[in-house]
Amino acid sequence: MKIKIDGNLYEGIPGETLMELAKRNNVEIPNLCHKIGFEGQGRCRLCMVEVNEGRRTKVVSSCVFPIKDGLEVVTNSDKIKKMRKDIILLLLLKTPNNQYIKKLAEEYEVTAPERYEDLTNTEDCILCGLCVKACEKMGTSAISLVNRGTTKKISTPYDDSSKDCIGCGACAEVCPTKAISLEDKNSTRTIWKKEFNLVKCTSCGKYYTTKEALNFINKKLGEESSEHICESCRKKSISKKFKESYKDYASHIK
Amino acid sequence: MVDSSIDLMESNEILKKYPPEKRFTLAILQDVQKQYGYVPRETMNLIAEYLSQPVSEIYSMATFYKALSLKAKGKYIIKVCNGTACHIRGSNALMDEVAEVLDIIPGETTSDGLFSIEIVNCLGACALAPVMVIDDKYYGGMTKEKVKSVIEEYRRAK
Repeated sequence: MKIKIDGNLYEGIPGETLMELAKRNNVEIPNLCHKIGFEGQGRCRLCMVEVNEGRRTKVVSSCVFPIKDGLEVVTNSDKIKKMRKDIILLLLLKTPNNQYIKKLAEEYEVTAPERYEDLTNTEDCILCGLCVKACEKMGTSAISLVNRGTTKKISTPYDDSSKDCIGCGACAEVCPTKAISLEDKNSTRTIWKKEFNLVKCTSCGKYYTTKEALNFINKKLGEESSEHICESCRKKSISKKFKESYKDYASHIK
Repeated sequence: MVDSSIDLMESNEILKKYPPEKRFTLAILQDVQKQYGYVPRETMNLIAEYLSQPVSEIYSMATFYKALSLKAKGKYIIKVCNGTACHIRGSNALMDEVAEVLDIIPGETTSDGLFSIEIVNCLGACALAPVMVIDDKYYGGMTKEKVKSVIEEYRRAK
């Protein structure tokens, strides 16, 4: 399957979306609500591109557009640039004080008209829904999109501390605008109005996850491991193993 | 927040009518709304359990649709139309009057559990504008003056 993006030909895998193809080939399409491993949501609309199919041209969201043989894609036409700017402007008006969105606006040379700008607005969430996806895939679906229209927000049922939340922090991790408050203080973590006791890494002794998250992972893996190590220690131990296994080889090529 | 006065038997009856599949979520929620006049918290947990769905997903749906309510509604639901025709003929003043007489704001329920006010966008009776509906009875050509007597009628009837 051959797909042309901005004049260059790429080999597509049947079933993948335009965004996946682009990411695989390091073609940049700006986006906020897409993460490799999660299916596209078509929510932030920043990934719009122009697609030529035969004689017809249309604008599509690349994160939800399945590829077809012979597609010609333009990611940077004047039309697309204008649309992108409009979307960023709307995001900027929604979250005028968010650092990430402010930086994005600066990058794309978007400034908000003064009469619409409300600098007292402290909203950080752009409702991209990535956290909901992350909670569904990696956690326990403790949060969801609540209400609709202007009152739409991300929250736990009844805005209470959720009995399902395991405090894994996946939602805060994927959030593009850092809108979710996750507070680690000494040995407690506070997220979604719920407090968790943190667990120490058995290797380096740093607090790194919650008891609930560990239990959840153990249950999912179907095994109980007495050793629990944090991400950086895990990386270290794996690279050490690699080094060991290639030791003989390394001395050869010296 | 836990309201133990509701009868969960009825919730179970409703659930039994549907196979435990995700696609019946909305149908179940609608039946529950009809039964209780709102979706009680306990029932929401029951539905989640029955369908093997996270509570958050049911909650998301229940808050999305206007036809579903999370708070108990009054015995009589007063719907004040704010569609274009009614708006032009002064439905805002009508709304304010209803709210003042009942001493609640739209969306709320009176403390005696008798009345709820809802603002709707069009009742399809534009010729009667401004129009107000209590249960299934239409009150067309409403004026501020008429509001009190209409509500009194219902209060007396209980």
